[in-house]
Amino acid sequence: MINDPELLALVTDIINREAKFLDKRDWEGWLDLYHPDAVFWAPSWRDEETLISEPQTSLNLVFLEGRGKLEDRVFRIETGDSYASLPLDRTVHVVGNITLDSVSEEIVSASANAIVHSFGRHGRQTCASMYEYLLDSSENGLKIKQKKIILIDDAVAGPIDIYHF
Amino acid sequence: MDGPLLNKDFGALVDDREAEGVFRVDRSVYTDPEVFELEMARIFEGGWVYLCHESQIPEEGSYYSTEIGNTPVVVIRQKDGEICSFINACSHRAALLTPRKQGKARVLTCRFHGWAYSCDGRCVRIKQEEEGYGGSEFDKSKYNLRRLPLTQSYRGFIFGSLEEGVPPLMKSLAGAAGWIDLMIDQSPEGLEVVPGSSTYTIHGNWKMQIENSVDGHHVSTVHRVFASTMRNREERDGLTGLAKTEGGRITGKVPSGAYDLGNGHMSIWAQHTTPERRPIYKRKEWLQANLPPGKVEWILNRGRNLTVFPNVALMDNPSTQIRRVRPISPDRTEVTVYCIGHVGEDAEARAARLRKFEDFYLTSGMATSDDMAALEDTFVGSHARSARWNDFNRGLHSMISGPDNLALSGGFEAITSSDSWENENLYLGFYRRWRDLMTTGGKG
Repeated sequence: MINDPELLALVTDIINREAKFLDKRDWEGWLDLYHPDAVFWAPSWRDEETLISEPQTSLNLVFLEGRGKLEDRVFRIETGDSYASLPLDRTVHVVGNITLDSVSEEIVSASANAIVHSFGRHGRQTCASMYEYLLDSSENGLKIKQKKIILIDDAVAGPIDIYHF
Repeated sequence: MDGPLLNKDFGALVDDREAEGVFRVDRSVYTDPEVFELEMARIFEGGWVYLCHESQIPEEGSYYSTEIGNTPVVVIRQKDGEICSFINACSHRAALLTPRKQGKARVLTCRFHGWAYSCDGRCVRIKQEEEGYGGSEFDKSKYNLRRLPLTQSYRGFIFGSLEEGVPPLMKSLAGAAGWIDLMIDQSPEGLEVVPGSSTYTIHGNWKMQIENSVDGHHVSTVHRVFASTMRNREERDGLTGLAKTEGGRITGKVPSGAYDLGNGHMSIWAQHTTPERRPIYKRKEWLQANLPPGKVEWILNRGRNLTVFPNVALMDNPSTQIRRVRPISPDRTEVTVYCIGHVGEDAEARAARLRKFEDFYLTSGMATSDDMAALEDTFVGSHARSARWNDFNRGLHSMISGPDNLALSGGFEAITSSDSWENENLYLGFYRRWRDLMTTGGKG
């Protein structure tokens, strides 16, 4: 773990802003946090104790390479034509336990835990996740280069989308 | 077991007047707890049920634990490669014998009192046997695991039955066998389940998930947003080849069809407008060199959804899926989905298969999620007692009896054939099978 309060404050800010943008449905703000080459990845569980590790040869819950694939999800929601997305579930993300794990010249590695509560036509559920971020620091400010979401709930009740993670 | 239910007329829940162009099903089949209870006894615990795929139990001692209705079952690969399944409960006090969904063990040891069983189900150890049961003459074999009377693989897909007096699996599969062949014949090395899976719960009845898996009529409404999202992606990113998604079946008027395959098995297909976007297209030359032209056409150019009665759907579209359906209660259904691919598939095709799976099929994807939302709505609507009937009449006037020419070219049998996947002839087969099992206890 890295002891760098100034950097930790920046990292905490971008992680908290992501949660806020998702809960507020500020899709443009949310997308803008991501690097154009970002990866948004929620692996599935290989078995009770092991996650799949190789996304190119294993099934993921979500594996989106490039910010464009995130834009697809927003596009679908905004068409108003997605059965599962009209009306949208309400969500609250509570994110904490943020740590700086490593820092290199251009990449900051950080992790956090999240509890996401959602409510909507398909009922209410609370899902818990561990987030692992790679943040690009090569330009002014930070951009999300990779977000890996380890959803500890193995069975999901109802449809879920990027804003439920 | 179902004594109190015997006086109820479950047959009246299916209004079968085909000659008048009427086939309707009472919506209480989705909501009534008594219907559900009898379904577990007569449909799930009374006949062949899909258990797992052979690639999930590759070696001696490999096991996969699952359920038939309310009965926990464990499928185990034997020393000689054979496959057996047992009731997954210690003979002593019923504790589950497998700590995991899947794994490998030489001996299954009950973690409650330490009794142990070999992979062929023999009771091989009782803790403090002599003190507890007296003498060395005690016969442990009376505590052997309860073996399922029937466990059988059809070319890798394993089925089991808790009921002994059912027709052989091959006979029971009827026209579904030929549809399973269309998946398996694609590669001499066979199919494998890809690592990883997704499990989700639907607030709805299990039959709704089975119906939805072969419902062509919803595709151009529920999934037009998938097609428009993909079109937007492809234009934005200038994608080519395998990275593109086949959207023609969703938006366009393409040739399609629907089959009642017999014994409750159902299938639909639609022509691909851009088959070159499917991972299987890389094997085109091999297919043409090794299979009859009719089959090659079915494999390469037609997206196909199959349901095998009562609990599994097999999809072969841009991606490929095993969708296992587990009834929990009338209003709760658990679904587990796996991606399957050819053993030895090249890396680019495998990755494309997975990406297409994740885009479309998952509850966290962009199509199955919409399916779930729609069928959960139908479950809510089904509670209206004064609006009693679900219609399955579409296309009854135009369906033909027996297999059409396309079925013959693909090498499978059919009870009825329809030239549009929007039609509902296939559900007649499903609900007649359902009614027969629910009323006569017909074996299957």
